[in-house]
Amino acid sequence: MISLQNIEKVYRTDTIQTLALNRINLEVEKGEFLSIMGPSGCGKSTLLNIIGLLDLPSKGSINIDAQPTGNLSDKQLARLRNQKLGFIFQSYHLINDLQVLDNVELPLLYRDTTAKERRQLATAALEKVGLSNRVKHFPSQLSGGQRQRVAIARAIVGKPEIILADEPTGNLDSAMGNEIMDILLQLNREDGTTIVMVTHDPNMAEKTHRLVRLFDGSQVQ
Amino acid sequence: MLKHLFKLIWNKKRQNFLLMTEILVSFMVIFAVFSLLVNYYMNYRKPMGFEYDRVWSVEYRPGVSFKTKDSLVVFYDNLRNKLNGMPEIEGITFVSDNSPFTANTRQSNVDYKKQHARSVNWYDADSGYPNTMKVKVLEGRWFGKQDDAATVKPVVINQQLRNELFGAGKALGERIGEEQRFRVVGVVNDIKDKGDFSSPGNGMYQRLDTSNLGWVNKLLVRVSAKADPAFESRLYRAMSNSFKNSNIDINHLTAKLEDINKQTLIPMIILLIVAGFLIINVALGLFGVLWYNINSRRSEIGLRRAIGATGKNVSAQLVTESVILATISLVIGSFFAAQFPLLNVFDLQSGVYVTAILLSVVFIYLLILACSLYPGKQAAAIYPAIALHEE
Repeated sequence: MISLQNIEKVYRTDTIQTLALNRINLEVEKGEFLSIMGPSGCGKSTLLNIIGLLDLPSKGSINIDAQPTGNLSDKQLARLRNQKLGFIFQSYHLINDLQVLDNVELPLLYRDTTAKERRQLATAALEKVGLSNRVKHFPSQLSGGQRQRVAIARAIVGKPEIILADEPTGNLDSAMGNEIMDILLQLNREDGTTIVMVTHDPNMAEKTHRLVRLFDGSQVQ
Repeated sequence: MLKHLFKLIWNKKRQNFLLMTEILVSFMVIFAVFSLLVNYYMNYRKPMGFEYDRVWSVEYRPGVSFKTKDSLVVFYDNLRNKLNGMPEIEGITFVSDNSPFTANTRQSNVDYKKQHARSVNWYDADSGYPNTMKVKVLEGRWFGKQDDAATVKPVVINQQLRNELFGAGKALGERIGEEQRFRVVGVVNDIKDKGDFSSPGNGMYQRLDTSNLGWVNKLLVRVSAKADPAFESRLYRAMSNSFKNSNIDINHLTAKLEDINKQTLIPMIILLIVAGFLIINVALGLFGVLWYNINSRRSEIGLRRAIGATGKNVSAQLVTESVILATISLVIGSFFAAQFPLLNVFDLQSGVYVTAILLSVVFIYLLILACSLYPGKQAAAIYPAIALHEE
């Protein structure tokens, strides 16, 4: 489903050159739940951004669903992100000025869908994460766990084949973190969604199918 | 998407209030400037209504006084004959002080039955006026000898006053004014006697006769193309000989037109400079607010890019948001601006205000587009991975 070959990422300033990722080769199968662990600054989020086509590698190539992404235009990359990928972030990235339902509808605005379809799909996604009673709330009126569930609903509303989660439980206490993890596991198990999750928490990583460890930008496991 | 943007704007109404107020105030200022400019332009497009390029204004102050009116009439008849005898002179007319291209104004209201014409310019002129000024008599006649024995004072009115008082009805022979003391004997075309940018206004001409000839101290002279400075000296000497104790002042109407146009243009130019600075300030303000908006929404922009928006989508969204905000302000502003023609404020034509509203709307949209395109382009260039990492 996801194939990375010899990915390197170098950050350059006038004086310093930093190798954030070094020759990463990774294959993620369809329906797999993969976790990426490593110390802070080892390149986990950079790798996730590259997989999510939010950042470009300095070297190497990425195939999503057997499609090479290296030569895609901004428009084609945006379409691929919109249709194949769903993102969950540690800090939720909800738009505070929009109600829960409108936040969840966001990815569908960049598709050819009617308002009625968007509403139906967003309502279904919120039901799936157990937040159908909070559709008219604003993010500021929700707890951290509820906000992350809204973010998950937003990630799954377009029925993407891949979900990329960047420390989705990082800002939550263990109980809420477990709730979020259960939702992700359920998505993986029942819908067959491929999930790549960056985490610091070994307990969460244990629940996934496979663990990849990074250290100083290199894959060590 | 539009509904989504309306919702976003509505939910951020507090943050958007100041920006919308700034756009509204800018619109009202621009509307005032455009109203003035459009009014001047519309007046400029109207014909002058008379030929002024070879007309000189000759003033003599103080005038002359005689013991009897007959002596005065004889004096002026002799002067007329003397001046008409000069080959360079094609026509002369004695007029009141509010002759064309002077700042002098004499106005009063004129009634006809239930019609009430406000701010009518009253001019005094003798029978030589149409020939000297080349105004066109559209109906009836100008004053002449036949008015010497008139029991009701004859007047000639201009086209605008004719339309206002009589509409499509008959004007000639009708009695107008307080106690119906004037009889309309003719209608002439409108003239822009206060310069290129002035409105012709309502006008009524009274005949200079023995009753008011005593205080006249100005005549207009139409000269031939051959008239040169030497002739001007001869004219000056001729006038000095007739008015021995008077100061004689000869001015060409072309020069007087330039002067009176400057008097109109200078305040307009000052207003334009002030408005220009205001517009620059507003533009910088808008630019700053939009720039700030983008910087405070980097996370949202990053998110939108992550979930499927292209750079162009982001740019278009920010520009569209600005345009929607501007549209709301312009709708409110247009409501207030529309009161000007509806309530006939400043007595300008409705077309002036309507054109000014349209121009102001276009101007504000262009200003908004100019101020939001670059910030929008910058927003499109935001790298999603970096923007999302900043939160």
